[in-house]
Amino acid sequence: MRRQSDVATSFCRIVTMCAALLGACTLDSPPAAAYPEFQRSILKTTARPVNCAFCHAHADGPEGTAPGQIGRLSAAELAQLGQARAALSPDNHATSPILNPFGNHLLNRLGKKRILELRLVPMELASALPFDSDLDHDGITDRDEYRAGTHPLLDTDGDPWKLFQYNFWKNRTSLILTLLATILGLYGLKHLLHGFAFASGSATGDNADRENDR
Amino acid sequence: MLDAFLLIGLPYLAITTAIVGSYWRLRAHRFSYSARSSQFLEHRQLLLGSAPWHIGIFVVLLGHIVAFLLPGVWKAILAVPGALVAIEIVGMAAAVLSLVGLSLLIVRRVTSGRVQAVTTTMDLVVAGLLLAQVAVGLLTAVQLRYGAAWGMGTAVPYLWSLLTIHPDMTLVADLPLVFKLHLIGAWLLILLLPFTRLIHLLALPLSYLWRAPQLVIWTTMRRGEQPALARARADSRREFLKGGLGIAGASGLLAIGVSEKAVNFFKGPAPDGEAEAMLLQKKLVRLQLSAEERALELERRRSTFIQVARQADLSEVKGHYFIDYDMAPGLAFKGSDGWPIVRSAKCTHLGCTVGSEIDAQGRILCPCHISYFDVRTGQPNAGAPATVPLPEIGWALMDGAGTIMARKEPGQPIQGASDPMPLAGCTLFLTKPADRG
Amino acid sequence: MSRTGSLRQLGNFLTGRLPVEKMNFDSMVRKKEVPVHRLSWAYYLGGLALFFFLVQVVTGLMLLFYYQPTVSDAHASVEHLTAHVPGGGLVRNMHSWSSSMMIASVFIHLLTTFGMKAFEKPREITWLTGLGLFAVTLVLGFTGYLLPWHQIAVNATKVGLQTIEEAGRYLPGEMSAWPRLVRETIQGEASVGQATLSRFFALHVIILPFAMAIMLGLHLLSVQLHGMSRGVDEPPRRREKFFPIFFVRDLQVWGVAFMVLFTLGLCLPFEALFSYPLFEPYIAQGSTPDGIKPEWYFFWIYYPLEILPLWVLMLAQMVLGVVMAGAPWIFRDTNRRTLRLLAFAGGLYLILMTFFGESIVHLVKGR
Repeated sequence: MRRQSDVATSFCRIVTMCAALLGACTLDSPPAAAYPEFQRSILKTTARPVNCAFCHAHADGPEGTAPGQIGRLSAAELAQLGQARAALSPDNHATSPILNPFGNHLLNRLGKKRILELRLVPMELASALPFDSDLDHDGITDRDEYRAGTHPLLDTDGDPWKLFQYNFWKNRTSLILTLLATILGLYGLKHLLHGFAFASGSATGDNADRENDR
Repeated sequence: MLDAFLLIGLPYLAITTAIVGSYWRLRAHRFSYSARSSQFLEHRQLLLGSAPWHIGIFVVLLGHIVAFLLPGVWKAILAVPGALVAIEIVGMAAAVLSLVGLSLLIVRRVTSGRVQAVTTTMDLVVAGLLLAQVAVGLLTAVQLRYGAAWGMGTAVPYLWSLLTIHPDMTLVADLPLVFKLHLIGAWLLILLLPFTRLIHLLALPLSYLWRAPQLVIWTTMRRGEQPALARARADSRREFLKGGLGIAGASGLLAIGVSEKAVNFFKGPAPDGEAEAMLLQKKLVRLQLSAEERALELERRRSTFIQVARQADLSEVKGHYFIDYDMAPGLAFKGSDGWPIVRSAKCTHLGCTVGSEIDAQGRILCPCHISYFDVRTGQPNAGAPATVPLPEIGWALMDGAGTIMARKEPGQPIQGASDPMPLAGCTLFLTKPADRG
Repeated sequence: MSRTGSLRQLGNFLTGRLPVEKMNFDSMVRKKEVPVHRLSWAYYLGGLALFFFLVQVVTGLMLLFYYQPTVSDAHASVEHLTAHVPGGGLVRNMHSWSSSMMIASVFIHLLTTFGMKAFEKPREITWLTGLGLFAVTLVLGFTGYLLPWHQIAVNATKVGLQTIEEAGRYLPGEMSAWPRLVRETIQGEASVGQATLSRFFALHVIILPFAMAIMLGLHLLSVQLHGMSRGVDEPPRRREKFFPIFFVRDLQVWGVAFMVLFTLGLCLPFEALFSYPLFEPYIAQGSTPDGIKPEWYFFWIYYPLEILPLWVLMLAQMVLGVVMAGAPWIFRDTNRRTLRLLAFAGGLYLILMTFFGESIVHLVKGR
C-alpha cells in the first residue's frame, strides 16, 4: 500500500517537473496558449488595465508553477489541457484547466481556430460573442464587458453607470420599502422629540419660531 | 341543507339587510349614525378597554381585508421568507389584545351603574357576539395553524364566489366546525350592522387624525386647569401619538424587511460541504505560498548560491523573475552579448515590482509611477519618478558538477570564462552579497 | 512661583473651556440655540461625519463576524463574505462607501469650521480634538485599506510606508536611520506581511476606534457646552432652538445620508470604479498590476509628491500642521472673511488635486 503511494507521488513529481520544463521552454518562443494581443488591444481602447485573468485561471498567464498554471497541473489536468488545445472548432465541450470559465466559454463558442484568426483584429472578438450571454449576471453582457475592459465573470466589475442602473431596477422594491421606513421613522422621531420638548417645557415660549420653521 | 343556508343563504341575506338597513338608518335617523359615547360617564376603564380593543381589531381586520380584497398583494407578502410566521404572530397578538380590551369593555358595561343607564340590549348582544367571534377566530388560528396561507385557497375564493354571484360552498363546507362558526358569526355581525352601534364602522372619524384639536375645558373650580397648560398637554400627547405611530410603522417595515436579513447575515450561509472544502483548499494553497516564501527566506539566509534558471532558458525579450537575497523580486535576462543580465526588479522609487517585458528601446517599465529602466545599465529614463538605477545583482554560472565557470559581482567585470557560448548548458546562480556574511 | 503660576494658568484655562456649572441637561440641550444665517448648512456637517462613523462602527462589527486577519485567509474570507453570506456584499460595500463619505464630510467640516472661526476662544478644545479626530480618521482609512489583502491594498500600503523611510535622506548622521526603524516598527518585519496585517487589524478594529470614541466624547461635550459658534461676523438675525428643531433637522439630514448610502451600497459596488486586477489576492512573487494608487483622500499629498521633492512637502506639511494646531492663537484677530477665503483656497486645492491631480502631474511633467 505504502509502496504504491510512493510510486504515485514520484510519478506526480516527474509529471510536475516535465510540466515545469515545458513551461520554461515555451518562454523563449511566443507562447502557444496566451494571446497578449487581446489584452493589449483592450488596454489601448479602454485605457482600463486588464491582465491575463480575463481569460486565464492565473493573473500572470499560463506559464509558471502557481495554482492554475501549467507547472502545477496534475496528470489528468494535463490530459484535459491537451484536449482543449486540440479544440479547433466550436462546441467541443473542452475544459482547459488553465482557462477561467470565460476563457472556456470562448473556446467552446468560437473554437480555437476562430480565436487564432481574431488575434489580428482583437476588437472583433466582441461581435463574435453571443449577444445575450452574461456569465456573471450583472446585467452587462459579456460582449459589452469585453468592449469596456471589465471582467465578464465578476458581478462587482462593470461600467459603473450601467451597473448602477441595473441594480437599481433589480432592487427597487427594497429601495422603496427602505425609503418608506426611513420617512416613517423620521416622522415618528420628529414628533416624539417634539413631544418630549413639549413635555419638558423646552418648546414653550418660542411658538413663533416653531411656526416659521414648519 | 343547513350548510347551504348558513354558507350561501345567510350571507346574501346579511349583505342585503346590511345595505338596505344602513341606507334606511341614514335617511331615518341621521344623527344616530354612530356609536353612542359614554366617555362623560366613565373614562378610565373606557380608555383601558377601548384602546386595546380598537387597535387589536383594526390590525386583525386589516389582515382579513387585505387578504380578501388584494389576494395578489397578500400572496406577494407571504412569499417573503419568514413573513408568514410574522403575520401569524402579529395576528394572534392583536387578537389577544382585542379580546382583553373587549372583555374589559363588557365588564364596564355590566358593572358601572352610570354606563348601564345608556346601555341597550342590542349593545350587550353585539358585545357578546363580538367576543365570541374573536374568540372563535383566535381558536381557529391556534388550532388550524397558518390560516393566512391556507385561507388563500379556501375562504378567499369562497368570498369571491359570493361576490361574483357564483356561490361555491364546497370551498369551505368540509372545513372544521370552528372555522365555519367563525364564518357564520361574521355574517351575523354584518346582518346586525344597521341596527346596532356597529354602524359607526361606516362613519369612521378619520378626519380626527388631522383636524385641529377641540378641547373640552372645564371651568368649574374643581377642574380649573389653565387652558394653556391643557393645550400644551394635548399638543404633547398628540405629538407622542404621531411619533409612536411613525416609529411603529418604521419598525413594522424593518421587521418585515430587515430582521430576516440581519438574522441570515449572522446565521451565515447554509452549510455547504463542497464550498467549505473549496474555501479551505484555497486557504491551504495561499498558506502554502506563504510557507514557500518563508522557506525561500531561510534558504537565502543559509546558502551562498541560489539557483535562478538554466542559462539556455534566459530570454532577450522577457525577463525571468526570481527572489533575490533581500527577498525582493529580481529579473534575469540574456544580454545581446550572450552573458546574463541580473538586476533587482524592485523599483527604486517606491518599491513596486518592475515589469518583465522589454520594449523596443531595451527598457522595462515600472507600472506604478511610470519609470522606464534601461535593462543594460539599470538607469531610469529622464524625468522619471525614480532617480536611482535598478541595482545589479551578483551572479555565477555553474556547470552540472557545481564548478563556477564565470561570475560577476555588482560593478565589477566578469571573471572566469571569456566566451558565453560554451556555457549554454550551465545554470545561473545568485551569489550572496559580501555584506551578508 | 512660576510653576504654581503656570499650573494655576492651566487650571484657569481648563475651567474656562470646560465649565462644570454648565454641565447639565438644561444648559447643554434645553437652552442651547443655533444661529440662523447663510452658512447655517455648515452646522450639519459634523453630525453627518458622526453619522457615517456610527455606520462604520455597525457595519465594521458585522464584518468582524467573518473577516480573518491572516495573510492566507484575509482575501478568501472577504470573498466568502461577499459571495456566500446573505447581505455580506451589501454590508461590505456600505462600509467602503461610508468610509469615503465619512472622510469627505470630515474634510468639508474641517474647512467650514476653519472658515467660520469656530476655533475662537473658548472653543480651543473643540478645535484641537477635531484635528485629532481628523488625523485618526485618515489613519483609520489607511489601515482599513490593507485589510482585504488584495493587490492595490498591499502595494499602496507598501508605497505609503516607503514614503516614511524616504524622509531619512534629509536627516543628518545617525538620525537618517530612524525613519527606517519607524517604518519597520509599523510594519513589524522587513516587508509588508503577516505582522503588518495583524498590527493594522488591531489598530483599525480596536485601538483607533477607541481613541476616536474618547476624542469624540470630548469634542461633542465641548460643542454642547459652548454651543454653535456664531459663524459669521454680522450678528445673527435669528436663532433657533437646538432641541428639538435643529436636532430633528439633523436627524433628517442623517436620513437623507442613509438613503444615499444605502442606494449606493446596494446598487454600485465600490470595486466597479477600479480595474479588476487591483482586487486580486496579493501574491508576493507575482507582478504588480497597473494603476496602484492610494485612496482618493490621500491624493492631496500623493500627487504633489510626484512633482515636488519630498523635503518641500514635508516642510509644507509640518508648517500646515503647526498652523492648524495653533489656529486659535495665530488667527485670534483675523476676521471671518479672510478665514473664509483661506478655507476656500484650501478647498479649491483639495478639489483640484483630488479630481485633476493626474492631469496636473502630466501637465507639469510635460507628458
